[in-house]
Amino acid sequence: MRIRRQMTDWIARHAMLAATLFSGLLVAAIALALVLRARPLFAAKGIGQVLFGNTWSPSTGLFGLKPFIIGTLWVTGLATVLAVPVCLLAAIFLAEYAGPKLRGIVKPLIDLLAGIPSVIYGVWGVLVVVPFIADVLGPYAAAHWQRIPLLGTEFTTGFSILAGAVVLAVMIAPVIIAIADEVLRAVPREVREVSYSLGATRMETILRVVVRRALPGLVAAVVLGISRALGETMAVLMVVGNVPIAPESVFDPAYPLPALIANNYGEMMSIPLYDSALLGAALLLLAIVLAFNLLARFTLAYAIRRVAQ
Amino acid sequence: MKTLVTTIAVLLSAALIITLVKLKRVEPEHRTTISISGAWALYPLTGKLGEAYHKLHPEVKFDISAGGAGKGMTDALSGAVDIGMVSREVDKLEKAQGAYPIFIAKDAAFPVVNTKNPALPLLLAKGISIETFNGIFIAKRVITWKQAVGGPADPIHLYTRSDACGAASAWAAALGKYKQEDLQGIGVYGDPGLLEAVRRDPLGLGYNNLSFVFTGDQVTDGVVIVPIDANKNGKVDPGENIDNRDKAYQQILEDRYPAARREYFVTKGKPKDAALDFIKFALSDEGTRILNEVGGYVPLTDAEKATEVKRL
Repeated sequence: MRIRRQMTDWIARHAMLAATLFSGLLVAAIALALVLRARPLFAAKGIGQVLFGNTWSPSTGLFGLKPFIIGTLWVTGLATVLAVPVCLLAAIFLAEYAGPKLRGIVKPLIDLLAGIPSVIYGVWGVLVVVPFIADVLGPYAAAHWQRIPLLGTEFTTGFSILAGAVVLAVMIAPVIIAIADEVLRAVPREVREVSYSLGATRMETILRVVVRRALPGLVAAVVLGISRALGETMAVLMVVGNVPIAPESVFDPAYPLPALIANNYGEMMSIPLYDSALLGAALLLLAIVLAFNLLARFTLAYAIRRVAQ
Repeated sequence: MKTLVTTIAVLLSAALIITLVKLKRVEPEHRTTISISGAWALYPLTGKLGEAYHKLHPEVKFDISAGGAGKGMTDALSGAVDIGMVSREVDKLEKAQGAYPIFIAKDAAFPVVNTKNPALPLLLAKGISIETFNGIFIAKRVITWKQAVGGPADPIHLYTRSDACGAASAWAAALGKYKQEDLQGIGVYGDPGLLEAVRRDPLGLGYNNLSFVFTGDQVTDGVVIVPIDANKNGKVDPGENIDNRDKAYQQILEDRYPAARREYFVTKGKPKDAALDFIKFALSDEGTRILNEVGGYVPLTDAEKATEVKRL
């Protein structure tokens, strides 16, 4: 009897270990496959020329990925700038101010946003965001913001970084709001009560006590949102304009890495170096996401230490 | 726990029995399967051809999937499928690996502008020569409608396809020895996306496949096909004008249209066995009838068909 119980325990423990190892190794396996497939390109052209080359022209043997890297950073960066403030304010409202009734209505709606397939966001972007930028915002910017760097434009078709970022911001919002809300609600009630008992107002309590205590979790929420934004493909590629030239304004088109892969892989995978270049782009994207996550982890550790002090 | 194990066991055995029964039932009927994968552009035609062929030869089954021309090419070269559907020219690197293309249908890319284009009367009277199109789409030398055809000095808002596709390769090839990546302009995803972009922008210029540029026999609402001034005489001759599907069809059929393209079935080495017979069927009169019925393609001429059959 005792042996049987020990056996069960041993099996359960090792089964779970195997499951954990398997999921952990997946990232390594994917990275390895990409490295192997991308190697012919790096061997033929050199890493420097691929990473820092400005020209994408596979038929003439130029595989510069720099415009795509810049495109990825622009779209994701702008989406973050648009989404994070709104999301954090919304999460604070939901967690701290909203009554159960309002929360009961708004929270499911926001969660619903997370479940919408990305191609639907793309269609929405093409039908609503792109025309709005082309017909309203673009002409206004052309008339009034001409001298402001990054916002100036002479003319925009609407297919632009801004359109991609708006669509992305809407897509990552439910992720950030949902996690931030959970994190804020996990702060014990006693913490707030102590703050009130010392005479702090509600605003002061939220900013100086609750948010401060929840900071690591809030950073994690933002990081998750940005990670999703970095890799989002379909919705962005439908509205971003896909021109492989480094942009100068948010009204210019850009060409992010995931769009490059999605636009070409199915058609071009049979041409050896082209295939290799697309998988190189995938490897690069993976590296960017991993690097970002590492960076975020260090920031998080730093933030936790500061809060603890 | 016990109920869970029992449930799983029951489900598994049920699945096993269903599979066995299905195998047993299917096996004697279908001795051959022709597997095909590749370009979206050829998928509807191949599906219909497969249906008709299956009616004539019930012992042959089809497994057709779409995933892009490169996927079809890769699958055909690796032996994963019997036939790859490829809607663009076959690259020399692909031929070096043993790709054997059989010309199966024609399509074409048509330059389109918005119906409210300010230079429309001039465009329809003079057309645009291939050289000028080259200046617009490749060299970026021609950037206003005035430079293109005279008339208003408004800029040309250029659109192109973002996804690698046959229409873009054909359009780039029509402008010289160019590839899709050489085409300038805002990259819009898909045929319908590009059409919509031009339809919304009075200064827009793009290009579309046969099946999107026409709705029924007429040019799709909101856009106008820009006549290509093939003989460079500065005016649109009767033979260059395309304002309905019939004229487009005739020009492509007779090989007079400059931006026509070829679509292929690709096999590794010469086709053989069932695949060979199916490709012969696709090139038969019945195959042509089906092609016309499906729409969106132009058939080969009889001479072209004879050449292809000889190559099999």
